[in-house]
Amino acid sequence: MRDLHLPLNQTQRVRLEAALHELQTLAPAAASAAAVTVADNIPVNHEDNILKGHGTTDQDGEVVATLCGVVERVNKLVYVRTLRARYKPEVGDIIVGRVIEIAPKRWRLEINFSQDAVLMLSSMNLPDGIQRRRTAVDELNMRAIFEENDVVCAEVRGFQHDGSLHLQARSQKYGKLQRGQLLTVPAYLVKRRKLHFHHLEQYDVDLILGCNGFIWVGEHVVVREIADLKEDEQKLSAEAETFTPIETRRHICRLANAVRVLSALGFTLTVELIIQTAEASVSSNVEINDMLGAEFYVQTAEREAKRRGDLLGKKR
Amino acid sequence: MVGLSEGEKHFIRGGIAQDLRADGRTRLQFRALTVETGIIPQANGSARVRMGATEVIASVKAELGKPTILHPDKGKVSIYVDCSPTAAPMFEGRGSEELSAELSVALQRCLLGGKSGAGAAIDLSSLIVVEGKACWDLYIDGLVVSSDGNLLDALAAAIKVALSDTGIPKVNVSLNNETDGEPEVDISDEEFLQFDTSGVPVIITLTKVGKHYIVDATSEEESQMSSAVSVSVNSHGQICGLTKRGGAGLDPSVIFDMISVAKNVSQRFYTLLESAIAAAEAAADE
Repeated sequence: MRDLHLPLNQTQRVRLEAALHELQTLAPAAASAAAVTVADNIPVNHEDNILKGHGTTDQDGEVVATLCGVVERVNKLVYVRTLRARYKPEVGDIIVGRVIEIAPKRWRLEINFSQDAVLMLSSMNLPDGIQRRRTAVDELNMRAIFEENDVVCAEVRGFQHDGSLHLQARSQKYGKLQRGQLLTVPAYLVKRRKLHFHHLEQYDVDLILGCNGFIWVGEHVVVREIADLKEDEQKLSAEAETFTPIETRRHICRLANAVRVLSALGFTLTVELIIQTAEASVSSNVEINDMLGAEFYVQTAEREAKRRGDLLGKKR
Repeated sequence: MVGLSEGEKHFIRGGIAQDLRADGRTRLQFRALTVETGIIPQANGSARVRMGATEVIASVKAELGKPTILHPDKGKVSIYVDCSPTAAPMFEGRGSEELSAELSVALQRCLLGGKSGAGAAIDLSSLIVVEGKACWDLYIDGLVVSSDGNLLDALAAAIKVALSDTGIPKVNVSLNNETDGEPEVDISDEEFLQFDTSGVPVIITLTKVGKHYIVDATSEEESQMSSAVSVSVNSHGQICGLTKRGGAGLDPSVIFDMISVAKNVSQRFYTLLESAIAAAEAAADE
């Protein structure tokens, strides 16, 4: 809880501590056994010769952790997966990134990985939607598709032989994200699921949970040809009063604050939990801004402890 | 800071126009404020102030010195601000010099008054030990630990809290002839004198984005500003200083409007700051 700097009063502190303690006791014993901090012994069976991986070292015949994280075992290999590390991409992950550079035939994206990801012009759907070879003209018009600093949604295509990471955006659902806000949370809070794009119809909001911990909350856009989008952009640059409707904006802010609260408390972000938190704030008449106040943090932690307790009770 | 795409900029501007900013605040609402006092044991007074993701530290160090010949009845105060390279990559090396200087000058203007020391927020004559011979020199240092906009307001608040936390050692002076009229001072380790900080103002920065202005702008919002007016207001609601940043011009009537808004907002900020200090004291007592 080192990132929480909340002005808690006495009762709130006691309640928060109780809720967090409750959460800790609810965690399965296996999970807490696998969590290590620096200099913790990692129990291994010395008879089958193991391979010491990342974050481990040999000290007097014992395997000792050199990082904080979770012990992972793959066959003979033992390594520590750190929680506060950068994102580690896997093929097929849906990510949200920001364009930082336009290079020949490619865009470079910042995605919170140890290196920048590459999105090739050839692994993009063209604005006209026709499958064809990319010409020099296409290459010159790359800025019409994505500019520097644009927020882009894409999928991890794979690693090249030189170790660089390639992305693809071969569907209408990928592409530029506009009118909304980008939130960054630790990557381990977003688990890989079947769905990462969520259109929350009741709010008219798009919520994209990028596997790299970049979360997009924005106004819903109807999937359409990119040719229409260009027209839209001209309007945007003319700064006609085409602002997001206030009602939608309220929902966006409420959901964004729900994400902020949950990530500060270190809860795994799922769309259900985010909606529940936002709904809870509405039903208990918490103003959007007050969601970032101490009381709502405490309430959220208590609610999560109760929810996990109920889940465990049902299983038994 | 990373750049923003056109869509995000548009969203921020729209939010300010519709009075609902990215984190749900209205235009004249502050972020959550937390205060800690006495964080640097070596200093005479220190404070840490957090406003959202902005974090600043201020420390006050008192040293015995000699008053200047021109003003033998006044002590000396100097303010200096530094931006830590951990706050943003652009502060690395000499990158922060420009911003540090700008913040230092703005704070000096708001807190120190004229060259003669007249109109200073800190009563300089209370710093004198022996007139013309010995006085206290106050070194006020600010450090920006993490930067997410509204640095000037946070620094001014931190300095105000640090000054109220400051205890100046009591001094026993003995004048004798053996030392050629030089006073012999004996600094007490136990007795400290508190400072009168009621005159120290807070700074309210109004950042103008589009047609409207906001308080406590985040760095994303600051990137969209056309101009910003910083008004320093003391607890009686009087204006102590005024600085303007940004290239765009302002109509004089807008400035008057901004001043009166800043005055109203400052009263709210004072209560916020006081409750934060009370919470800090309660936490320290535990």
